[in-house]
Amino acid sequence: MTTVRLTDEEKRMLQGERGKVRRICMEYLVEMCQISGAERLIDLDGTGDMHSPGLEMSPYYKITVEDLRELVARGEHFKIPTFADKSPFPEQPPIHGWERCNICSYRQAGVRQDDPAFHRRAMHEEEFRLLRQMGMITSHSCANYLTMTYWPTMGQHCSWFESSQIPYCNAVLGARANFDGSFATCFLGKAPYYGLHITENRYGTVLVRTDRTIRTDLEWDVFGYAVGCAVKCAVPVLTGTAKPTTTQLQKLNSAIHTGGGVEMYHIPGSTPEAPTLEFAFGGKKPRQEVCIGEAELRAAYDYLNYHTTDRVDMVYLGCPHLNLVDLMLLARRFQGKRVKVPCWVMTAPWLYYAARDMGYVDILAQAGVTLMSGACLAAMGAVPQGVECIAVDTAKQANYVTGCYPDPDEKLQVCYGTTDECVDAALTGRWRGEWR
Amino acid sequence: MKKIRIRGRTEYPGRVEAEALVSPMPLQGFTNVDPEHGYTTERNHPLFRVPYTGKVLVFPSQRGSGGFLKYGRGNKPAAFLHTVASPLNVLCALQAHVPSMTDFERDPMEVIETGDMVLVNADEGYIEVTKKEG
Repeated sequence: MTTVRLTDEEKRMLQGERGKVRRICMEYLVEMCQISGAERLIDLDGTGDMHSPGLEMSPYYKITVEDLRELVARGEHFKIPTFADKSPFPEQPPIHGWERCNICSYRQAGVRQDDPAFHRRAMHEEEFRLLRQMGMITSHSCANYLTMTYWPTMGQHCSWFESSQIPYCNAVLGARANFDGSFATCFLGKAPYYGLHITENRYGTVLVRTDRTIRTDLEWDVFGYAVGCAVKCAVPVLTGTAKPTTTQLQKLNSAIHTGGGVEMYHIPGSTPEAPTLEFAFGGKKPRQEVCIGEAELRAAYDYLNYHTTDRVDMVYLGCPHLNLVDLMLLARRFQGKRVKVPCWVMTAPWLYYAARDMGYVDILAQAGVTLMSGACLAAMGAVPQGVECIAVDTAKQANYVTGCYPDPDEKLQVCYGTTDECVDAALTGRWRGEWR
Repeated sequence: MKKIRIRGRTEYPGRVEAEALVSPMPLQGFTNVDPEHGYTTERNHPLFRVPYTGKVLVFPSQRGSGGFLKYGRGNKPAAFLHTVASPLNVLCALQAHVPSMTDFERDPMEVIETGDMVLVNADEGYIEVTKKEG
């Protein structure tokens, strides 16, 4: 087991001299060091992001609401700026649009998301009131970086927890985070010092080439998924792509950390730690080279499509949560039209207000589209009754949405393609998507 | 009986002997694992609905969501052995408190097959594989 070197103050926390909650948090972090091989903790100077309320970090390390009340009474705060990703756990209800969310709660047939009493419970208001008093910013989005307004800067040490945001933090922002955001890391402002906190581990290890220039949203999404599958937990350096848009970065980050365990990547000339190809590899040769070309992209596209029927019962967009430009484009596509099958769209809670002010909420509502915020269909773990085939435009949702519907007859099918193809499916109830 | 001993790095200590269940593909959590039944629910996965409870779960790496840590809850494996280490394996070991090892001198994926008996001695930093007969 790794010996963990602690500062005198960290030792005092561990011994309980700084209160029960700091002791529990420190015990949790020390054990994390022992497991990961980290020899010490690092003081975070960036930001925190966590699944919340998140009081139970593991069956062995948990704090109570009463502990939170005492912390608040003593005027205690999170040590670093801390954001709540996703909507409240474990129910993960939509923040907006829950009244129209006519599905049951995860594996509980009799409990529905559109029941006001359930929604009230699921929002965990007391915990969040206390967490807000401690400084938590309850942005409730899997694409938190869209509404944070305060991003860690290059080189800052962070602790985040949301699969698509880890590579965003590392690769896109150039800040440094392992997948470990929790109450302990955010409250103490400390994290085990290993992995991507260390410069040497941030350099590329696998060179990725492609014979098809990656340009469109779908290409970026499929490419991300296929790269993740191919490189697993390595640090890929992506070449042969066009410059990604914000939407495409959202898709890439969620797809690459769904197909694989990629927490860091480089796009030479585009991401901040890769001014050149050589720099991205830290001056070393790649350990491996892979080609994600036409054949591999096609294979990934076919894998993500999981349907025998072309009859679509429902369309789900907004994985990760849509940014404001995507909402504008979606409103434009649906303006003056009417959906034939339910179409649910998910965005970040604070962008819901912006979309309302811009008139997009009304346009979408007039087309019969349901705009929601904060949640995730796969995370909620159900589809409306009777839905047997769903259309989506992201690899992440396509990959996860079937896992939580353990119907005895395995009936949920998935059509995966472009946003336009999904919009067409919403308007016609038919899937006409194809790999082009 | 042929025994193969491989040294590795201990993540979580302990000593247990159980039958191996080998996943040729990386394992994914979140919706794609069911800790109550103790099996993966990822469609098209070679271990789709194959129970891992009480087994030595051998896999190349994790992939995807932070919900990977659900493998460490509920009806969990007896031990975790994986080729590549990552922060989600750390979180999983934190949840499970069962022996967990990685960074082996020889890739256990090349040695262990489903059904082999594996002694995981994470206290002393090695595994010992007894190949199944036949």
